[in-house]
Amino acid sequence: MRRRITLPNAGVVLLVGPSGSGKTTLLQNLVDSGQIKDSEILSSDKYRKIVADQEYNSVESTDNKMAQILFEQYQRISKEAFELLELTLEARCRLNKCSFIDATNINSDDRKKLISIAHRHHLPISAIVLDIDLDTLLMRDNERVFPRGSKRIKQQMKRFQYHKRYLKTEGYHQLHMIKELNHSVEIERMDEVPPIDVGAGIDIIGDIHGCYTELLHLLEKLGYEENEQGLYTHPLGRKFLSLGDIMSRGPRSLETLLFFKNHVNNNLAYMIDSNHGWKIYRWLKGNQVTLQHGDELTAKEINQWLATYSEEEQKRLKDEFIQFLGDAPAHYIIEDKGVPMLVCTHAGIKDEYIGKKSQQISDYCRYGESSSRMKDGIPIRDEWYHHHTGHMTIIWGHDPRPYPTTINSTINIDQGVVFGGKLTAYRYPEKSFVAVDALKNYNGVEHNPIIEWKSKRLLPPNIQALIEGFRIQMEEFEDVSVKGKYVKPVIGSLSTADTHFGQLVYLPPTMSPVPIPSQLPDYLEHPIEAFKYYQDNGVNQLIVEKKHMGSRGILLIFKNEEVALNYTGISNLGAIYSRSGKRFFKKDIEERILTVIQSSLKENDYFGKYETDFVLLDCEIMPWNLKAQDLINKQYELVAESAILDRKILDQALNESMVENQWLKENEEKLERAESFQKVYEKYCWEVSDIDRIVIAPFHILAHSGRVYHENPHTWHMTHVEELSNICSIFRRTEYLLIEDESDWKQVINWWKEITEEGHEGMVVKPNQFTVWEKGKLLQPALKVRGRKYLQIIYGIDYLEEKYLERLKKRNTKRKQKLALQEFSLGIEALNRFVKQEEIGRIHECIVAILALEGDEVDPRL
Amino acid sequence: MQLTIHAKGEDANILSFLLAKHPERLYEKEHKGHKVRLFYQTFTPNEVKVTIYVVLDAISLVRDSGEKLDITHYINDREFAVSSLFLSLIRSSLATALNGLPKEEYLPYVRQVFQFSYSFGPVNTDLSVENLRELFSPLGFTLSVQTETKNSPLYVTVTGETTLQKGLRQLFILIPVIDNYKHYFIDEKEAEKLQRFGEGWLDDHPQKEWIYKRALKYKGLLDDHITEHIKVEKEKKQKGLNQLRYEKIIEIIQSKPHLRKIIDMGSGEGKLSTRLGFLPNVSEIIAVEPSERETLKAKKRYAKAAENPGFLMPMQKWGSVFYYDDGLKNKDVFILCEVIEHIAEEKLHTAMQLIFQEYKPAVCIITTPNKEYNTLYQLGESMRHYDHRFEWTRAELLAWVEKMTDMYAYKASISSIGEVDHKRGSPTQIVVFEKEVMV
Repeated sequence: MRRRITLPNAGVVLLVGPSGSGKTTLLQNLVDSGQIKDSEILSSDKYRKIVADQEYNSVESTDNKMAQILFEQYQRISKEAFELLELTLEARCRLNKCSFIDATNINSDDRKKLISIAHRHHLPISAIVLDIDLDTLLMRDNERVFPRGSKRIKQQMKRFQYHKRYLKTEGYHQLHMIKELNHSVEIERMDEVPPIDVGAGIDIIGDIHGCYTELLHLLEKLGYEENEQGLYTHPLGRKFLSLGDIMSRGPRSLETLLFFKNHVNNNLAYMIDSNHGWKIYRWLKGNQVTLQHGDELTAKEINQWLATYSEEEQKRLKDEFIQFLGDAPAHYIIEDKGVPMLVCTHAGIKDEYIGKKSQQISDYCRYGESSSRMKDGIPIRDEWYHHHTGHMTIIWGHDPRPYPTTINSTINIDQGVVFGGKLTAYRYPEKSFVAVDALKNYNGVEHNPIIEWKSKRLLPPNIQALIEGFRIQMEEFEDVSVKGKYVKPVIGSLSTADTHFGQLVYLPPTMSPVPIPSQLPDYLEHPIEAFKYYQDNGVNQLIVEKKHMGSRGILLIFKNEEVALNYTGISNLGAIYSRSGKRFFKKDIEERILTVIQSSLKENDYFGKYETDFVLLDCEIMPWNLKAQDLINKQYELVAESAILDRKILDQALNESMVENQWLKENEEKLERAESFQKVYEKYCWEVSDIDRIVIAPFHILAHSGRVYHENPHTWHMTHVEELSNICSIFRRTEYLLIEDESDWKQVINWWKEITEEGHEGMVVKPNQFTVWEKGKLLQPALKVRGRKYLQIIYGIDYLEEKYLERLKKRNTKRKQKLALQEFSLGIEALNRFVKQEEIGRIHECIVAILALEGDEVDPRL
Repeated sequence: MQLTIHAKGEDANILSFLLAKHPERLYEKEHKGHKVRLFYQTFTPNEVKVTIYVVLDAISLVRDSGEKLDITHYINDREFAVSSLFLSLIRSSLATALNGLPKEEYLPYVRQVFQFSYSFGPVNTDLSVENLRELFSPLGFTLSVQTETKNSPLYVTVTGETTLQKGLRQLFILIPVIDNYKHYFIDEKEAEKLQRFGEGWLDDHPQKEWIYKRALKYKGLLDDHITEHIKVEKEKKQKGLNQLRYEKIIEIIQSKPHLRKIIDMGSGEGKLSTRLGFLPNVSEIIAVEPSERETLKAKKRYAKAAENPGFLMPMQKWGSVFYYDDGLKNKDVFILCEVIEHIAEEKLHTAMQLIFQEYKPAVCIITTPNKEYNTLYQLGESMRHYDHRFEWTRAELLAWVEKMTDMYAYKASISSIGEVDHKRGSPTQIVVFEKEVMV
């Protein structure tokens, strides 16, 4: 007789039956016929052999005492064998494997232990019970190589029969009783959570809540087309997946339900379980439930609809719904080329639940979890997603936020369409978001999470979240932590800055000089080391940009005051601020410059062309004396004049010296260097009588509405700057050269030499790609190579003297490089948050972190 | 940095013995990488010209300064200017002359007067040439300077009849007085030794007090009571108005005994909070301040106040009105004493929104300068403090207050602090916002 048994792919299967009941034989047949793997069998006999070199030892003896001792020995071995077996079982459970336990398993307590292991790992447990009559068993035992002996078989049989009655209550997902000896078993394997292959692509859709019209808009925007049967299909064969909560609160829950039932049944879409779905399921099944939070609306819709059918039809339709909702899994795994890339769940999931199924997991996925715990006396909201590790991305909904929120490889795509927000789709493998706006707010004002978010977005940053130090989790980069002692001075400094926090949305990172000093005797920095750094890291295509000598400035300009108010909380055209976050110009001058730029941009329809409300630029603002006049007067000018005066007068005196000496010549060289020093900074200064003498050289187009440009190549940025400079004369282009490979190096070095000999600051070497990763690590986004003359104003007039240069070449740029990467990451993160219009506090923490990192003691000359 | 000594007169060549430096040899001495060098330009029986200069090791100069560095520390006129640093480096090379202890046979020449010119430079000073003359003329010197432009460094020559020792000692006192730099490089022992050099002439110098004041930069050089005197004078001017402000604020708080929980926003060095700490009805003071320096000062002040009975220790919080803090909600009094004028107007708007919409104190007290009164201070167009973003006339304040009361559920009254000028009002204006009670 053939038995067909359905078994999970991941789980625990107990074989139950006394010695000789055919457990091993049954499993061996399954292995031989290729239905299970040898490695899936955990056999107690084998473990006895592993721990004690013997599968079996006879405990039968005529001498009672001897028999007792033999039995004790057997027990000791068995104990060790089972401990090891259980350890293996636990490991296999953790890895979501299936294990067949080949042991007698006749005691209920022994079985319970194994059952609890399966439960602990949220895996199903099944049992195959071999209930063979005693005579057959005894006959078979006689035929064995090591007969267990009739006494033991009888004992086992007695216990087996006694404990058999508990089997029904031990809680197996499946219990198979086999009574015939010559049985044939056929195994059908089943995935607990069958993974979805990404196929032509998948579009994951956030909480719909009966916003049927918006759903159809979104599907159309995603490229789905309605076919003759009224089904939405994608010309490329893409499928869509709902994260649940397709009904309730909104206006058209019934249609949405029918739509998904239809599409899921036609294998065009997927839907997962959710809190509202589960509530409606139980209501349909007739359970006692309280219908609230919009479920009452869904129930009403369904009831009205059902009323139009006959009683019989009603039952059928109800059952269809029950089946549909009941079959929705707690989560889906999406595989790309056989690799699990995404996990889709409604409200959350723990990492150890992924790929498994249990009541507990279902509940967790429906409602999520958040708790508060205390750390150093401060309550910390402990959300489930903080505990997600690894690179599998978890896509979830349930908790509406105004924009897709990426934290720790989890992405929330519930943008509260029913609350007047958006309905979002996450596209894989594109990893992009497509959203449609809600036609209206269906939920009123009270307890509307989207309206609450928006009203709170512009609130000042919460100081308690910053002051003792904090950690920033970033969308694309490694976390950055900052210590309280560095944060405090930053809070002080930002409190005296005039820049409104709503406008303070980006700060430029520090930049490392070439990591290795020049090998040439009379250079401290040289381009060749920068080229080699990138070449060694596999980057050949580089851009070298001339470094302007001015002051770094960030320029934020809005299309008009209204949109500015919406983004920043204040209605003015924008802001220009320095790298320390301070207002760059006096207020009236800033206003004039912004007005000039904004009107030029408007005249040229810049905002329309790029569909943006603003443009954010990273610039160098010249001349240097705009910001540095005080520094020049008190520092450079004074130093230059002092040096020249000192050395000139000394020159006369040494000329008159009674004794001939080397000092004269030495002083002559020093005088020359002092004069060259003076020329260096003079080049960077000119008088600014009016704003038309001010020059702004943008080199990064940081962001437009909804877009951050850190993945566009620098050549794109340079072209865009060119466009800006044609639009408005205050903007200046930056000279640059491209390097395709080593053959271009020489030409670039010559160029560098030429401009730096004229006194220009130097150049910046960047991978043209902008953001480059090598072996999972971010590379320096830019390295500066400063000219020999310019470095005089950094390292001192006489730094090229051998005795100085030798010491200076020992400088270490490691710390600086690390800061450069961290600040770069934080800057991009701030931009990402800004373009998504996240709360000011979320943007501000990045700003504070950058400034706090700058507070670290690093040689400021680097 | 260099000093040239030029002496004329009979037996002027005796100078080589008073200096203990051989005229036909180059003198060089190294100290921590710095080189002290001396050479003669002229050496005849009746005329000697000798120059001493220092070649500084720029890197070790920076390394020795021992502070947290910013970029300005590396490009530094200290490498060139005559200063206490220069003096401390050349002092041991000139020890024989300064101490007046040449070989015994030349001892009588220590008191020998010659026609001297001392030339030194570069001098970086905020003093005018006239000021310099006032320093050197009483000592019998005539002074001339060589310079490029008005603000450029000077090369100074003083000429007069004096002894080598006296002339040098006077330079050792006066050069640091002229130099306008913070003296990072001098220790107290050095100062004591320098004090010796003033013996016999400094007490009679008409600019004595002023020289002391300039030399205040030296610790230990000046008597404590002089320092104290200067400090007290400075504080006296400020005190009046501050005092009046505090008194007015306290009067308001005490007039309403139900005002018990107070926030002093921008509490600075804690003067107001300390006074509040002694008020009997007050049950909580939160002093909020974002500056580390001020916070530390305030901490000391509170600790000192706590030695007296009945003092309620203010709770110090790091923050400002640009950050949200849960702990500032729903208190009785929110004080902004001379704070708002330091805030850019855009930011002020957001700050007031935070106070009136989130913190919702029962009373908010604001003091700020009255711009009209500035004429009486003869300030012209400039503001009272360099950090002020604005100063308002009475009408401007009124307009702002009306805007606030229109926007938020508060009513307000404005009054004056300080002497009232019938045309220009009082120096300080005070606004009291009170939360409107819903009826």
